[in-house]
Amino acid sequence: MTATPMMSRRSALAVGASALALPFVRPARAAEAIGFATWSAAVDQVKAHVAGFEKKTGLSVAYSNSPYAQYRETLITKFTGGAPLDMLWVSDAWLPEFAQAGWLAPIDPYKQLMAYDAVTSDFCVKSTMFEGKQYGLTYYTDYMGFFYNADILAKAGIPAPPTTWEEVTAQAATIKAKGLLDYPVVIGMAQESWMIEFMSAMVYSTGGRFVDDAGNAVMQDPKSGAVAALGWLAEAVNTHKILSPGCVSTGELEVLKTASAGRAAFVLLPKYRLKVLADPAQSQAAGKFKQALMPMGNGGSHATVGWMRFYGATPRALSAGRADGVVQLMEWFGGKADGDYVFQKTILKDLALSFGIKDLYNDPAVRADLGSYGDADLMAKQQDLARKKDTIAPWFGEWNDTHGTAWQQAISGKLSVAAALKTSAEKWAALKKAG
Amino acid sequence: MALRVLTHDERAASGLLAGLVAVLMAVTAFPILYSLWISLFAVNLRRPNRMPFVGLDNYANVLASPQFWESVGRTAIFSAMSVGAVLLVATLVAVLLDQDFPGRRVLSACLLIPWAIPSVANGLMWKWIYDSNYGALNGLLLQLGFISSAMIWLGDADRTLGLIANAFIWKEVPLAAILLLVTLKSIPADLYGAAAVDGAPAWHRFVHVTFPALRPGFLLVALYEAMMAVRHFDLFFLLTEGGPGGASDVVAWRIYVETFRNLSFGTGAAMSYILAIATLLMSYALIRSMARQL
Repeated sequence: MTATPMMSRRSALAVGASALALPFVRPARAAEAIGFATWSAAVDQVKAHVAGFEKKTGLSVAYSNSPYAQYRETLITKFTGGAPLDMLWVSDAWLPEFAQAGWLAPIDPYKQLMAYDAVTSDFCVKSTMFEGKQYGLTYYTDYMGFFYNADILAKAGIPAPPTTWEEVTAQAATIKAKGLLDYPVVIGMAQESWMIEFMSAMVYSTGGRFVDDAGNAVMQDPKSGAVAALGWLAEAVNTHKILSPGCVSTGELEVLKTASAGRAAFVLLPKYRLKVLADPAQSQAAGKFKQALMPMGNGGSHATVGWMRFYGATPRALSAGRADGVVQLMEWFGGKADGDYVFQKTILKDLALSFGIKDLYNDPAVRADLGSYGDADLMAKQQDLARKKDTIAPWFGEWNDTHGTAWQQAISGKLSVAAALKTSAEKWAALKKAG
Repeated sequence: MALRVLTHDERAASGLLAGLVAVLMAVTAFPILYSLWISLFAVNLRRPNRMPFVGLDNYANVLASPQFWESVGRTAIFSAMSVGAVLLVATLVAVLLDQDFPGRRVLSACLLIPWAIPSVANGLMWKWIYDSNYGALNGLLLQLGFISSAMIWLGDADRTLGLIANAFIWKEVPLAAILLLVTLKSIPADLYGAAAVDGAPAWHRFVHVTFPALRPGFLLVALYEAMMAVRHFDLFFLLTEGGPGGASDVVAWRIYVETFRNLSFGTGAAMSYILAIATLLMSYALIRSMARQL
């Protein structure tokens, strides 16, 4: 008797070919998971919140993350390569270039998302706008805060923290004269991504601007530009010697480490760093650093710079058939989830990452958390005075390279303040003209 | 001329190698040729739908840029400092390790540590050492009483290149020392014997026997280290990001800024080709000089 083969050779070949082809076959579009990309922060919190979303909606999410240092480049590679991305974290600094390139889609048509604008800090909403359209909901926001070491001030006999930059100079000089610190002021001016935030905080508090409402450079204008702020920094280094010449190689992390080591009296840092400064496990100066409103310059105010990172969506995400799920996911993270701001509270509690929703400052749990390391009311007051960066433009990265170099040269005394800002302004004008 | 017909074995070998050749072409030749192609276009990812052909304009613009030539100058200074110091220190280390003394093997093993440390870890370690606020270098110098207050290291534009070169040298010396040690080991012992019979002191033996014999090793190390230094990027990225005030803005850093920060892939590719051609010419000159002297 001849045995009947279980599968003919032709069938076996067909099955084999199908198996080989399987990885190249795209699943049906409707069943495709929502692609969600972030940088490598709050990974556990994001995963847990994604799991909650999947459980509630039955939709699946393909979550991926990559280090922040390479995140922008990774995204651009994905965009240009047509990778299946739907929702992503975006820095406010990248919005113009991403939107102009057509990599992000506006969320204006989705009323359930736009409704959050009414309860969100003004600078956060403005930071998600480009050419009159809104491109996302806030992931987290923060501002550059002014912090002082109360212990050092007490030792120097200084009764109250400074309220103006002139007072900062005077108090720092006193601290230096008493031999408490060589350089009482620590501000990061290293060529890194935080540099523009440090600069903008100082410029805004001295009543200046880099760019006017029409997008023209005014940074070089002695009356309304960045001259006072850069002048203060240059004098602090070269005349008063209260700020180390090494500030041009001091990044944000180095400022934090210096403050944590108790080797600073006055620092500018993102507000969320206060939690680290207050933690005895991470800071030798735990409990000594307090927040004060950003000092004012002549004719300035307590204004500071605020920034935000947001949930953006790609054009593919907001196409027919996919938009519903992506909008739900964006609200789940950037708005309410099950009637509460769950994710915002989670990242505040776990990572001290702040929120754009103004009402959360009145939430008892949030106030208790903030109160454990700072003054919640002062934090809210400073956030109200935060303004978005005025230098955000498609050519920001290119301008920032020239600008940062010129700014550092002025601080090091190798270039005058006026010449440095003239260089910055000319670069801005040239890039704006080139589009 | 008639083509020779391949034998069965040659055909089989060619077939087997074809896959490997295809993979090599895909991962090596294609990116090289593609980057050459995009260097002829105004490719800026901020404008992905507008990439006009510009011919050699990208090359002309780069070569006409004063900023580029300033970075070339810094690259040359960094490379000269680094290669010279690597050669000097590696020679001393190699000569030391060529001697017979207790603990030589342990010292040889320790020598490999800097080489074994990943580049990023090396960069971060030096960033910590050089930090002017809490760095180990200031801490050491203060404790030893060599300085009375903290020094500014990377923040001082006049010191930056030298300090980055120092970090580069620290990592590169082990390999260079091993290469020179291998050359030293190949020197016939009877040459030293003959020199000793002639009454040559140690210094004369080094100058007249060791040094000439080391020349091939020197040229090899100089060639390799020059190529590494000219193209070096990691330490500039980790320590200074081109700062302060552009003091460490070398060609490799400029290529990164142009390509990945400004997203000008066309200009970045043109700069990369200029750097590659310069490196090739430099290597060719060194190899020619090597051939002439051997």
